[in-house]
Amino acid sequence: MVRRFVVKRLLIALLQLVGISIVVFFMIRLLPADPVARLVGFNASEEAVQQATESLGLHYSSGQQLLNYVGIFSVVDEPGIINGYLGKSWVTSEPILHEVTRFLPITLEMITYALILAFIIALPLGMSSATRPGGAADKFTFVWGLFAGSQPEFWWGILFVFIFFFALQQAGLPHAPAPLGRLDPLLEAPNSITGFILIDSLLRGRLDIFFNAAHHLMLPVLTLVFVVSGPIVKMIRQNMIRVIRSDYILYARSAGLPPRKIAFYALRAAMAPAMTLTAIIYGFLLGGAVPVELIYSIGGIGEYSIRSIISFDYPAIQGTVLVIAMVSLIIYLALDIVHAMLDPRITF
Amino acid sequence: MEELDSKQKSSTSEYVAIPKRRQIRLWKKFKEEKLFAFGCIILFLSLFLAIFGPWISPYDPNAATGNVSAAPPAIWDWPALFFQTVFQGAEPPHWFGTDNSGLDVFSRTISAPRTDMVIALLSALASMVLGTVLGLIAGFYKNFATEVLMRISDLLQAFPVFITAMILVALSGRNEFNIILALCLVYTPIFIRLTRAEVLGQISRGYVEAARAVGNPQWKVAFKHVLPNSIVPSLIQLSTTVGFAVLLTSGLSFVGAGVRPPTPEWGLMISLGAPQIILGEWWQSIFPGIAISLTIFGYAAVGHGLEEDYR
Repeated sequence: MVRRFVVKRLLIALLQLVGISIVVFFMIRLLPADPVARLVGFNASEEAVQQATESLGLHYSSGQQLLNYVGIFSVVDEPGIINGYLGKSWVTSEPILHEVTRFLPITLEMITYALILAFIIALPLGMSSATRPGGAADKFTFVWGLFAGSQPEFWWGILFVFIFFFALQQAGLPHAPAPLGRLDPLLEAPNSITGFILIDSLLRGRLDIFFNAAHHLMLPVLTLVFVVSGPIVKMIRQNMIRVIRSDYILYARSAGLPPRKIAFYALRAAMAPAMTLTAIIYGFLLGGAVPVELIYSIGGIGEYSIRSIISFDYPAIQGTVLVIAMVSLIIYLALDIVHAMLDPRITF
Repeated sequence: MEELDSKQKSSTSEYVAIPKRRQIRLWKKFKEEKLFAFGCIILFLSLFLAIFGPWISPYDPNAATGNVSAAPPAIWDWPALFFQTVFQGAEPPHWFGTDNSGLDVFSRTISAPRTDMVIALLSALASMVLGTVLGLIAGFYKNFATEVLMRISDLLQAFPVFITAMILVALSGRNEFNIILALCLVYTPIFIRLTRAEVLGQISRGYVEAARAVGNPQWKVAFKHVLPNSIVPSLIQLSTTVGFAVLLTSGLSFVGAGVRPPTPEWGLMISLGAPQIILGEWWQSIFPGIAISLTIFGYAAVGHGLEEDYR
């Protein structure tokens, strides 16, 4: 049963990806942007423009361009998406896949830690507020959920830089590193194994790099945790309140089960929707953590995407959107499976 | 039981009586719940500044003054300075300091709603109107066209929101109008889904059948009878959407894919002030940041209050 569900969902996801790539492909070509002028400069000669247009393959019709991109009935001698080739960047001439696989893990690492931490913080907060509704902890959690869930992460990022870097440094106290990248300028990132710098440095036995990277990751992760914990807390609180009022908890209580056991039952049911929400936020942050990446100069997929968008680098834009959509769809699928394991009412 | 009654009434032709009662309920909520009251005040303040902000600002938000990177006066000096400005005709101080081009931060902070709020309100309203109508049609008529509509809306929701908005704005030209269009495209599917779900719940009710039975044409049943009964969730969603639209507008400007400098806009101001913050010139970013933070929180609080009232 599970296998059938997964196969079905994978097929739907595949269709969605095809749809997304086609929509993005035509969307960026429909918008009134002139990538050739951006590339050759506005004073370029007619021939230069002509040559650039041809080398980018933009002189074909949109339909033919799409076929070239996909790799079916292609008239250029490059492979297409069908062969797992996303094209070459117009700016750096590097294959998009290389660039994306270099930048994506950086963002993934940051948001993974942030969401795990946010979940760990939100869980006890949401639970304690639900067990005593109307109490001080409940009020705090409620306002926190509403407030943090609606905050601009870029402002808090800058505020944190001001407080934890500038003000602490001025006061002569231990402070966060300057927001200028993932490591101190003199250190070099270890050769990539997983792409996650903390894990890689441990695997290579470089504790100095590990601590330095952790130090640099601290503020960006803190910023994201602050913003992201809001909706998760809200979700857990709401669900706990709903579950605790339900009949089966009443039954468990009247059967004389210890409170700890009851809390565990309630938590199991309340966690499922919160995890779904976490997955949605994960998907959102993949492309939505751009401001935080910029503030701390992390150099992840978000920075890459804004760079390619501003330089009208069509293949790079298409590739980023496609890869980000793909990763989020995989995460949604994985979460749905976990969800079904947690909640016995869900059948495939 | 009372809740049930009001719900049932709202589904009969008597729904005209309900808005009045809801107004009274909301007024009571405003007096009793601090958070909701706070949100309402912020909401009105933001609308007030969107209309009058640029007119009441002491300096031109787009013109440099002679003072570059001036620090704001200390907060305990404010009452005296305020007194001097208002009653003794002294030159208004730079309440929030000036930025490194000499622009008055206070004037820009209170002029920014003209950019932020107008973009957010127009895009949220446009997507609500469009989404509600499309959702009504999709819920009311079930045919190939509406099926396609729902699939397109699904597809749009699978897009990474922030990147899509960046692409739309950066490639079609960084101006207010294009931002509104981009936000509209991002937010419309939410309203389609919301309205459609509500319409599907309404359509099997007795009053719809009754309206049909007396010979109303389909479109009239849909727009005159079903629409008023299924619009409330969208209206509630509107407040939240305005808040998030402010967030997205300023986020886009922050990363350089929104309005162009020197337009007074909170996200842009924060971004222009960001490099100065490690030099200790905190006022360029912090004040617009507080403004945006309070605004979005206010809209979220109102949205939450309305949602609670509706349940």
